[in-house]
Amino acid sequence: MVHYCTKCVYPSASAFRLVFDENGICSGCRVHEDAKKINWNERKTMFKNIAEEYRNRDGSNYDCIVPVSGGKDSYFQVHYVIKVGLRPLLVTYHGNNYLPEGEYNLERMREVFDCDHIIVRPSVETLKKLNRIAFKIHGDMNWHNHAGIETVPPKIAIKFNIPLVVWGEHGSLDLSGMFSLKDRVEYTKRFRLEHAQHGFDWNNFTDEGLEEFGRSELKEGLCPQDLALWQFPSDEELMKVGMRGIYLGNFIPWDANVHVELVKKLYNWKPAETPFERTYRNFSNLDDMHENGIHDYLKFIKFGYGRGTDHACKDIRAGHMMREEGIAMVKKYDHIKPRRDLERWLVYVGMTEAEFDRICDTFRDPRVWWIKDGEWWKDTICGEASSYGKVHLSEEQQTKYKK
Amino acid sequence: MLKKRLIVSLLLQNGQLVKSVGFHDYQIVGSPQIAIQFFNAWAADEIIFLDISTSCEYTDLVRKDSVFPELSSLIEIVKNSAKTCFLPLTVGGGVRTIDQMRELFLSGADKIAINTQAVRTPQLIAKAAERFGNQAIVVSIDAKRNNAGGHEVFIDHGKEATGLNVVEWVQQAEILGAGEILLNSIDQDGRLSGYDLSLIRCVASAVTIPVIALGGVGKWEHLVDGVRAGASAVSAANIFHFTEQSTRQAKKHMAEAGIDVRL
Amino acid sequence: MVVIIDYGMGNLFSVQNALRVLKADAVISKDPEDLKNASHIILPGVGAFPDGMKNLKASGFVEILKREVLENKKPFLGICLGMQMLASIGEEHVKTEGLGLIPGAVRSFQVPEKEFRIPHVGWNDAYPTEAGKVLFDGVDQNVFYFVHSYHFVPDDTSTVAAWCDYGECFVAAVRKDNIFGVQFHPEKSQKNGLMVLENFLKA
Repeated sequence: MVHYCTKCVYPSASAFRLVFDENGICSGCRVHEDAKKINWNERKTMFKNIAEEYRNRDGSNYDCIVPVSGGKDSYFQVHYVIKVGLRPLLVTYHGNNYLPEGEYNLERMREVFDCDHIIVRPSVETLKKLNRIAFKIHGDMNWHNHAGIETVPPKIAIKFNIPLVVWGEHGSLDLSGMFSLKDRVEYTKRFRLEHAQHGFDWNNFTDEGLEEFGRSELKEGLCPQDLALWQFPSDEELMKVGMRGIYLGNFIPWDANVHVELVKKLYNWKPAETPFERTYRNFSNLDDMHENGIHDYLKFIKFGYGRGTDHACKDIRAGHMMREEGIAMVKKYDHIKPRRDLERWLVYVGMTEAEFDRICDTFRDPRVWWIKDGEWWKDTICGEASSYGKVHLSEEQQTKYKK
Repeated sequence: MLKKRLIVSLLLQNGQLVKSVGFHDYQIVGSPQIAIQFFNAWAADEIIFLDISTSCEYTDLVRKDSVFPELSSLIEIVKNSAKTCFLPLTVGGGVRTIDQMRELFLSGADKIAINTQAVRTPQLIAKAAERFGNQAIVVSIDAKRNNAGGHEVFIDHGKEATGLNVVEWVQQAEILGAGEILLNSIDQDGRLSGYDLSLIRCVASAVTIPVIALGGVGKWEHLVDGVRAGASAVSAANIFHFTEQSTRQAKKHMAEAGIDVRL
Repeated sequence: MVVIIDYGMGNLFSVQNALRVLKADAVISKDPEDLKNASHIILPGVGAFPDGMKNLKASGFVEILKREVLENKKPFLGICLGMQMLASIGEEHVKTEGLGLIPGAVRSFQVPEKEFRIPHVGWNDAYPTEAGKVLFDGVDQNVFYFVHSYHFVPDDTSTVAAWCDYGECFVAAVRKDNIFGVQFHPEKSQKNGLMVLENFLKA
């Protein structure tokens, strides 16, 4: 039985693993409350000390790598790192899903910050294949993006022998309270495999890998070399360079609304011009139109919620929104099937909408969804159940959803 | 010579790996399958699985679309781990009977940890030691400081006070046939401020069997302190989830501090 | 085919998993007749000596095992308690007769307590001898996982394949012709242990 956090609007069946306390408050809210108890001045000093430890001494290399997407957080990270006196190398994984405003923000970073910037652009054919396979095997066409963002900067760190990588906020700590701020959790290869990639790695997408997985019908002719970009450095390479990934969010209080105002003012950062279909925010995920679009729609298909919920929870916790308003956002946005980026994607990968709907439905979680009168039903945050459109499954596939 | 051991304690709730603070606040860190894979590669000496499941339903709605199968019984997790992890595995949590122990051994456990049931029926320690050999029986103890300057034994996930003094209990456990003691400090759990060193000292000096310290590690130096206080092995349940190649880095630190560890 | 003897004691599953990783065809068997088709025989063991011998006798394996090992010279590996049972006699709890395949006795450690806590549990260094050349060939680091309170003292020290040190020098491995024994758990000693098992499979 799905239930909801009594403070924010997260459901208990979520993409992240939430824990609820005896008052029904989720671990994400609890961790967020703890932020008020952190001595941020002490944390800022800690960051300065780490910066000093890793600073390049002989002028032959950068002081650190900052993985950037061109988003508001990227701008803020680079702004802060430079303020502390570090000379970063900016590194981007370009998944080919940028909005024009996102592309604009990305391209100007080297000018605006006077920094060197490596943008890694994978082969479009390979990206299309990964989009298709990952969608069919895992219900997430954006696997390449989650994996690429987490793999390419470490690879560059190893190749350029730059140990320090400064990431932004820890996604799971922020959304679901997987860790506490006290833990000062750092980047790990383990977290990347388990939570960014859900256990799937590059070798699951080659012809050989799909054969072993029992899904040879999904083969697209990919071989290991095609996926070299997504192959994480070995433990030995990591140890040799001494790569250390830290999260800026552990050292300064993190608020997207504050960051966006700052980067707009100081650097003319541009938000999205057209409103997103699945969220009220216009400043998130300009680097990947599907993160707020069909990738997020798949979240609704699987778990019954979406970006409307995610952003409302962030804003409720930051004190910018009341819970009732958050509920209104959930009701307005979570279920929307986004037309714009769906149509783009179907042409991009060569799929029909009927096939898309059919594959989507195979990922519905039977603990959240059930079928009644040919329609999908689930409970809502308001307490009653509601229907959400036609079912696109065979009779046999429908059995596990019948109550 | 025999090395000091670094043991990863993996706390499980309904099949999910959790971190713990004060035996009360839990956060889900992930799945045991991936954890095992990494600790196996990161120079850990042993793994301890402690099943601290209660009837919490929140973990029933964990996503099931990852590549690895979700396993929700301890037996399944042990069997799965034994397939890929060639490290000694100790399993505990809710172990009440000889039959349960036998099933866990057959599934791949090398040692069994008993806690609550050992206090309720101490003869279980003797029976288990006789049946499986005392080296395969670990008595796990959760202890809290009392007002008299000593420590009291708690059972049932730290909820029930037993009135037992930890030193008396640990000596009784040794006489009954325990092979090792897993000593966990409820006060220090998740605090990141170090082990309860006085607890380790008094228990290590009270028995001749190995003592494994657990509870409170916040930095690698705490592991060194634990060894110097008399622990034969040092363990942690939270900190190893926080950093890259954590256990390998921890052992490097211990070696640099002069402790003989396997690298 | 490697036959792992199931006599109700020992982490059979782990041994089988280790052999599978080495791509060996390994079966766990309760049927003594299976030893006739075995290319290699493994006797694992976790527990006490008297129980081990009692169970082994009750399982019906003893006669066929002795024949396959002594007459048909099949490579045999005893692990932990499985190695100890090779002895003539064990002194754990109560004096018990062993298989007697390598004459000797199984004794408790004579070491100052607290300084050398018993059981001996953890990773320790093994020092291979001439007789240990086969088992330890190519092993990167001779550090293995031990967990035991008793140890094997063979009458003939030329059968010692490796020594270990825990307050006193004790036998970590034995070898007599086709009969091998390891006090440590190769299936729990990561890649070094897997190497030892691989060497045994080549014997």
